[in-house]
Parts: sequence; C-alpha cells; structure tokens
Amino acid sequence: MFINYEHDNHVYNVTIERRDNQFFITYDNNEYTVTATEVKPGQLVIQLAERVIKSIISQGDDSKFVFIDGNIFKVKRIELTGRKTTGKKEGDLNSPISGTVVKVKVKEGDLLKKDDVLLVIEAMKMEYLIHAPYSGKIKKIYFKEKDQIEIGQLTAEIEKEGD
Amino acid sequence: MFKKVLIANRGEIAVRIIKACQEMGVKTVAVFSEADLNSPHVELADESINLGDPTPSESYLNIAKIIKNATSVKAEAIHPGYGFLAENPDFAKACNDSGITFIGPAPEVIRLMGDKIEAKKTIEQANVPVIPGYHGVEQDLSTLLKEGKKIGFPLLVKATAGGGGKGMRIVHEESKLEQSIESAKREAKSAFGNDSIFLEQYIDKPRHIEFQILADKKGHVIHLFERECSIQRRHQKIIEETPSPALTPALREAMGKAAVAAATTVEYTNAGTIEFMVDAKHNFYFMEMNTRLQVEHPITEATTGIDLVKWQLRIASGMDLTLKQADIAQRGHALECRIYAEDPSNGFLPSIGTIEKVEIPIGPNIRNDTGVETRFVVSPYYDPMLAKLTVSSENREESINKMIWALSHYVVLGVTTNIPFLKKVLEHPEFKAGNITTHFINDYFKDWLVTKQGLPLDAIIALAVYDSLHTQRHEVVRYKEADPHSPWQHVGRWRIGV
Repeated sequence: MFINYEHDNHVYNVTIERRDNQFFITYDNNEYTVTATEVKPGQLVIQLAERVIKSIISQGDDSKFVFIDGNIFKVKRIELTGRKTTGKKEGDLNSPISGTVVKVKVKEGDLLKKDDVLLVIEAMKMEYLIHAPYSGKIKKIYFKEKDQIEIGQLTAEIEKEGD
Repeated sequence: MFKKVLIANRGEIAVRIIKACQEMGVKTVAVFSEADLNSPHVELADESINLGDPTPSESYLNIAKIIKNATSVKAEAIHPGYGFLAENPDFAKACNDSGITFIGPAPEVIRLMGDKIEAKKTIEQANVPVIPGYHGVEQDLSTLLKEGKKIGFPLLVKATAGGGGKGMRIVHEESKLEQSIESAKREAKSAFGNDSIFLEQYIDKPRHIEFQILADKKGHVIHLFERECSIQRRHQKIIEETPSPALTPALREAMGKAAVAAATTVEYTNAGTIEFMVDAKHNFYFMEMNTRLQVEHPITEATTGIDLVKWQLRIASGMDLTLKQADIAQRGHALECRIYAEDPSNGFLPSIGTIEKVEIPIGPNIRNDTGVETRFVVSPYYDPMLAKLTVSSENREESINKMIWALSHYVVLGVTTNIPFLKKVLEHPEFKAGNITTHFINDYFKDWLVTKQGLPLDAIIALAVYDSLHTQRHEVVRYKEADPHSPWQHVGRWRIGV
C-alpha cells in the first residue's frame, strides 16, 4: 500500500507490502526488508538487517505520535491529489502539499475544463498535479514558477461556468 | 495521628500526599473539579468530592466550599499541597476556626512571611543577612539619593509595583543614580500608575539556593540542607539539585544555621523553605520564606532519606520532631526535572490535549511523581506540569547521566513536552561544570529552538509497519486487489469454521 506522511510541512512517500511478519518498505528509492513484532499495543520492535529499531506509536485524533531514540515526532497521514478523497468539498483549490511550484500551465483569463492541469508542484522529488475541480475561467493565480507553496494554501481561483 | 485528612489540591502533589497518608494508615479525601474527574488523585483517594466548576476560584481556591466539605466528611486535617491555598493565611485561619488542623504553619506566620518587605525586616533581626536596600515610603529624590549612596554600587532600582523588567535599572556608578531614579519613576508611573521604587544592591551572578526546614510545635527546628534551584525559565524553576555545586562545607554550615535562626525567630512550625540568593563571592542573603511543602522536595528526600510529607503530618498532629540536626546527613546527589506540557518550539506555550500514551523510565533511584496517565486530558485551567522526574546517584556527574538516560526513555505521546529542552540544558558544558546562575537559561538558551531534523528513516519504517499492522480489513482487500503477486490472489473463496 502507498502511504504519505506529513511532518513539519514535508511529505514522505512510502510503500509497504506485508507477508506474515516480513515487511518490504520502499522509501526514497531504497528498499528495506524488515521483520517486526508489536510487543505491546503501539510498541514495535523492528529488525532491519543487523539493527533493531524500537519505537512506540500512538494514534491521536488526527495525528500519530512516534517515539524513537528519545525523540517524539507528530505525523499526519495524508491523501495526495489525483486520488479521490471523500469528504473533500468540491472546488478545493488548496495545495495538498508543501513544495515548489515547478510549472504553471494556465494564465489568468484562460478558459479550462474540469480536470485540466493548473499547476505542477514538486515535493520530495516527486511531482504533484493540481487539477481544476470544475470547468470555468481562471480568475486569479496566486503562484508563479519557482515559488514555495505550503500545504493548504490557495493556489488559484476559478470562476465557475455559468456563474 | 489523624484518622482522616482532606487534600485540597490536585495533580502530582495530591497523589504524593495521598500515598504518604495511606502508608501511615490515614484515610484520605480528595477534592476535584469537573476537569479532573478521572485524575489519578481522585482514583487513589479513599473518598473524593466533586467541587464542580473547573475555574480555580470555584473549585481548588474556594475556601468556603472546601471547609464545608471537609466538615461534612469529618476530616480532621487539611493538607494544602503547594500553590492554590497553601500560602493563604485566610484559609489556614478558616481551617483552625472550623476545628480542622491546617497542615502547615500558623496563619500569622503565613501572613508575615507573605509580606516580602516585613519578612525581610523580621528575618534581619535574627542576624540573617538580607540584601542591603531601601524599601521606605519616603520617595523624594534627596532621600533616594542618600539611601542609594549608602547601599553602594552596582545598584538595582526597581518599581515597587514592578514586573517584567519595567521600571528597573542597574546603576553602576554614583553619577548615573539621579537620572536612573528619575527615568525608572517615569517608566513605573506609565506602566503601573505608581511611581514608587525601591533600591537594592545588585547581585552579580546570583544563584538561588534554598534550605529545607522542619520545625515542631515545641520549637525544635532543624534544616535538611540545601537545594540549588538556579535553573529557571521566566522565574519558574525547571531543574533542581542537591547538594549545590557552589557550596563549600563552611558556607553550607553558615547558611544552614541562618535558615534555622530565621525559622526560629518567627516561631515557625511544620515544613518550610528559606530561600537565599548567593553571589559570585559566596555572600548569601535571605530572599523569602515559603511556608509550605516545595515542588522540589523529592531531591531532599532522596539525599537525606527523610519523608517530608510524613513529618508534616506527624508535626501537625502534635507529635515531636524526633530528628536531631546531627542525625541529618546528605548522601550522594539528586536531580529533579519538571516535565511540562509545553511546546519549546512555540514559545513554551502550554500544549493542551489528550495524553495518548505515557511510559515512564524505571530503574534504580529513579522517582516519577505524576498526576497524569494515559487518556488524561491536559486542560487549560491549571498549571501544565505533568510530572517531576527525580534521580539520585553517588555524585553529580552520575546523576546528570542518569537523568539524561531517564529523559530519553520518558514517553509522553499526544501533547508536546519540554523534555528535549531539559535534555539540552543537562548536556550543556557550563551546566555540567556546575557554572549556573539564575541567568543561565537567558544566557545560553534565550532563542533556543528545537532542531528541525525531519523524520528519520527509522521513524518512517516504524510508521509504515504500524500502519500496515493496523490497516482496516476493507483496506487490505484494496491492497490485495492492487498486488497481483499476493498469495491471497490465489486463495479463492473460503470461509472460516465450515
């Protein structure tokens, strides 16, 4: 399965497959094979080659908390664009991720159809496309190429067709 | 000894007192506000009383409500802990007037020591040094100049109504005195509407060192040595230790005698603390007396082997203090850290929320005083201190290492704590060398921020494994469909228990 973790405005993309207590993890173009046991609820002992990773994880209301090596990290699991997420209201033009705007595909005044690409954002060496949630006319674009964009920031405004 | 004691407090100190009572066979009554309904102190006590509204004035600070409840459950005594009503002479008097023993000194002593200027005047009469200064009502320039010259330089000019450094001047030479007094008065007038100031000798490189006192009702007073509490952030102690790395045996003896003299002169009873300021030249000055149990009392217990809360109960119930000064010795070294739910990367603002998990470090000579547990909600109503972690060892270096180990194994998930900050302070070379003053945090950690290091690989692996283990069934189905190599693809239809 594919998982995106957000921590401190960075997104980490991970894939994990499980066969019994063996896990195959891909992160940042590296593959890691580990065995793991949950010794107590939330308390993991993970064997990675010769190394043992000990961690305690708990699930909060909207975040997870990870204790590792005396440090604690607050992490959110997030859904990225391109995937249909339920509960998200129509017309959301907020950036789903923090990163750099690498391409602006439209200009103000352009007419576009639903699902046309507006912007390309690069984060963690991966590109994310911002699609038009509905057809209409571009009223305003808030970012230009090479701009830094933060998660949740409004990317553009579209005047809906027929409005 | 009392049969039943009501504890007019909450959190770790209520838990601490309830345990001491229970060990002595004394029944306990906890009080709580609605915000503390499921707190450990409520669960631990033999009885508990709901005071209602979480606002302190309606609950833990409500004298009438607490006395009424104590009377109705027939508690013979009330232990006030620290904070809340612990140093309120009206509360102590109200207890006594209702025939309930207040576990602490007499109301008159609390009142006297609560007036900082009167306290200094009284203690000075016992030949205990106080910081030379002028606190008089005469505020005309010629009086202030004359008094200032008498004190000498450097000199501190401070607004009587002051706070936050407003209306405060450090004057290094006589020629600057007049102008500093005038500008401090102007600033005080505009900030506090009151231009009254006082003058004090300026203490260079001050340390906060206090002495623990026990005194019984027959006038037998002893001290239990010092606690060095110089590590403070905005006047809030965060790390305390004993013995102090600054004291020589001779200075310790002199300060101990002064502390006993101060307590004796005000006819003090029960446990109390004399706070001194010690300068770079090892001069010490009486600052104030705390007429209650201190937050940091566990380090004294760890190095003297004496249970201060039990002695508070014994003394209050009229028993003699059978400990002699000569019997009290310091053994090894102890260190305490206060663990707060506050966010060091967000201006140390309190971190409110639900504690999802607590795992405490366990080992020889590690003590954890806490009033919270897993699922506890840190509310905005009260002090955000979650716990006090105390360690003791043969010497200071070992205690510091033990504390760093213990903090590294202290798991609090759900709210942000100051643990990373505490560790950095303990690891600082000047702290390790014992070169600490009350300015330490300001000198070395003024703009300190948590290092943003990103998620380490190990955390990412652990999270992925956790999520894989905890994925809901319908998500597993999705995953099965997505992976053509999965052995589940070939299982076909099957049912369990057929």
